[in-house]
Amino acid sequence: MSTSVQNAPGSGTDTAPGRPIGELVFALLIVSIGVLGFVAGAGIQTPPSASDIGPRAFPFAVSALLVLVGAGLVLQVLRGHRGAADEGEDVDLETGTDWATVGKLAGIVLLHAFLIVPLGWPVAAAVLFFGAAWSLGARPWWRNLVTAIVLALVLQFVFGGLLGVSLPPGFLEGIGGFGG
Amino acid sequence: MGSVDNFFLLMEGFTTALQPMYLLYALGGVLVGTAVGVLPGIGPAMTVALLMPITYTLEPTAAIIVFAGIYYGGMYGGSTTSILLNTPGESASIVTALEGNKMAKAGRGAAALATAAVGSFVAGTIATVLLSFVAPYVAAFAVQIGPVEYVALMVVAFLTVGALLGSSVLRGLASLGLGLFIALVGFDSLTAQQRYTFGSPFLADGIDVVLVAVALFAVGEALYVGSRLRHGPIKVIPVTGGWTTWLRKDDLRRSWRPWLRGTFIGFPVGTIPAGGADVATFLSYASERRLAKGENKKQFGKGAIEGVAGPEAANNAAAAGVLVPLLTLGIPTTATAAMMLVAFQRYQIPVGPQLFESNSALVWALIASLYVGNLMLLVLNLPLVGIWVKILQIPRPYLYAGILVFAVLGAFSVNFTPIDVIILLVVGILGFFMRRFGYPIAPMVVGLILGPIFESQLRRSLAISQGDPVALVQSPIAATIYVVLLVIFALSLLLKRRQRQFEAMVAANADAPDVVRGTVQSSGTTPAVSIRREDTDR
Repeated sequence: MSTSVQNAPGSGTDTAPGRPIGELVFALLIVSIGVLGFVAGAGIQTPPSASDIGPRAFPFAVSALLVLVGAGLVLQVLRGHRGAADEGEDVDLETGTDWATVGKLAGIVLLHAFLIVPLGWPVAAAVLFFGAAWSLGARPWWRNLVTAIVLALVLQFVFGGLLGVSLPPGFLEGIGGFGG
Repeated sequence: MGSVDNFFLLMEGFTTALQPMYLLYALGGVLVGTAVGVLPGIGPAMTVALLMPITYTLEPTAAIIVFAGIYYGGMYGGSTTSILLNTPGESASIVTALEGNKMAKAGRGAAALATAAVGSFVAGTIATVLLSFVAPYVAAFAVQIGPVEYVALMVVAFLTVGALLGSSVLRGLASLGLGLFIALVGFDSLTAQQRYTFGSPFLADGIDVVLVAVALFAVGEALYVGSRLRHGPIKVIPVTGGWTTWLRKDDLRRSWRPWLRGTFIGFPVGTIPAGGADVATFLSYASERRLAKGENKKQFGKGAIEGVAGPEAANNAAAAGVLVPLLTLGIPTTATAAMMLVAFQRYQIPVGPQLFESNSALVWALIASLYVGNLMLLVLNLPLVGIWVKILQIPRPYLYAGILVFAVLGAFSVNFTPIDVIILLVVGILGFFMRRFGYPIAPMVVGLILGPIFESQLRRSLAISQGDPVALVQSPIAATIYVVLLVIFALSLLLKRRQRQFEAMVAANADAPDVVRGTVQSSGTTPAVSIRREDTDR
């Protein structure tokens, strides 16, 4: 059913040159999640009193779907039919992938996760904004820093203070209006 | 349930929605909704997901009114972006955005904005009226159906969402499967057995839907745009003159029929699971192109006002149509509707056929707030459009850094543990690769949300039939649902395919005249002829 649609001109897949290693790995990942679903699914305990099909049947069905669809995708990629990368107003598909920026962004989010508890949410959020804006190419650094600090304080005030979301205030502890 | 009763219920809804406090919430919702609709990279689905953990303190009615405002506002805002943002390449890929952008480039941006805003208002209002009259009847029918029929409806919803909300059927189904799989992690609700928890206490409670949605929409998007950020200045096409002069008599004369046609195409398409607003806008565009005559027809591909008026109206009417299956059956057919469903669940409002009976006051307040929101949006989008143009110029590094900050704020607020931020990052990286390799995000979110409901209904059905799967198709209603909706599914798939061919052709033709001026006439008329031929075979 789907292959004929895929081969239609102007459909969502393209036969672009280059080796689709990443795409192949992703399709194989889908297959392996399905396989994992079967293996781990076999370990689900089924109470003998269960009057219905039990807790195992649906996981197996989902795993089967993943294995079948994943295998279909592996075949498709091997035949050269590749997925069309997402488009967007801010996305430039002409240029190559900027892996360094992706790495920096992911690293900064990870750093943020480790800073929330020791330093409080406002500091961790300011670090995240400053780092992300810098990674994405915003200059000069001092304007990024000022924006980051103002944004973090405003968000802490609005959500921690006004809306009562329990964000750890960090150094703002005890100052009224910032929650905590 | 007579229609007079419904009218009184609607009036009661208005008395709630018109209270100053709720008016403020509605205004806040449509403001945020328009802003996120205007900004690239943020959609209404992502916004509802982001706001859910940080609006826990609101009471349910207020929260639902805010989310409804965001839902409608997002539809208005999107047109401003596609008309005024001058990004090479992208606009041509969405045929319906093409005409508005071409109009703006030709100095008619104001007329395009006006016909989009007024058309959205007309369509939104008529479609909300239709919603108020149709929904109670569907709900009255829905309460009679049992788990078997419910399973039938959800199977078809899965199929259409998986296969139609993206450009590749297999990738859509893979995305759906991933969503269903993540939904399985945690305790089984019927037998309390652990599934796919791998002994981890963090996984035992399941992976929070909001967390996954925020990760996929926000973090995935930020990482993906970061990998391919378009550098250089943001080119926004300027709009001149006061807003009262925007829609000339001639524009109005050419717009009103497309508005109405778009409404009556969009609403029914929205109510059936046929791929959401995307299909509706395409159908409206194609029919306007076919119906246009003489000089107006030649403008298609180069800035025809009918090509903005119709699709914009269809888009908004479809958004109201999507609310019919959502409110009456509890079945979301788009990502935003899926997030609205989660919002209902968070506030312990039982979604599904009982909603109209058990929470009648809330539902009617929601519908009344849609009328109010539409009126607010007309004001926000005509005289105040200048504000949104400014928002469009936010430096992109700040925009995506801000999206990340809001994402971690939402993720942390789910359980107030930094581990959720790490899960957010991991799922966000998954979302990054999905975008990169052309996997649609929406089916995964729908699978994640509908999966548990589907499984429990399926097991209830099979418990009643004592494990006999034939019972799933034996009920006459269920069998009818399968047949009717499979026909819709096949038609939608066909339509989707035709849409792609059509868009490729229109885009190719629209780009050509800019290069060679002499060929404008010939290349402008050829596609129109071939479309007509295509449509007669149908």
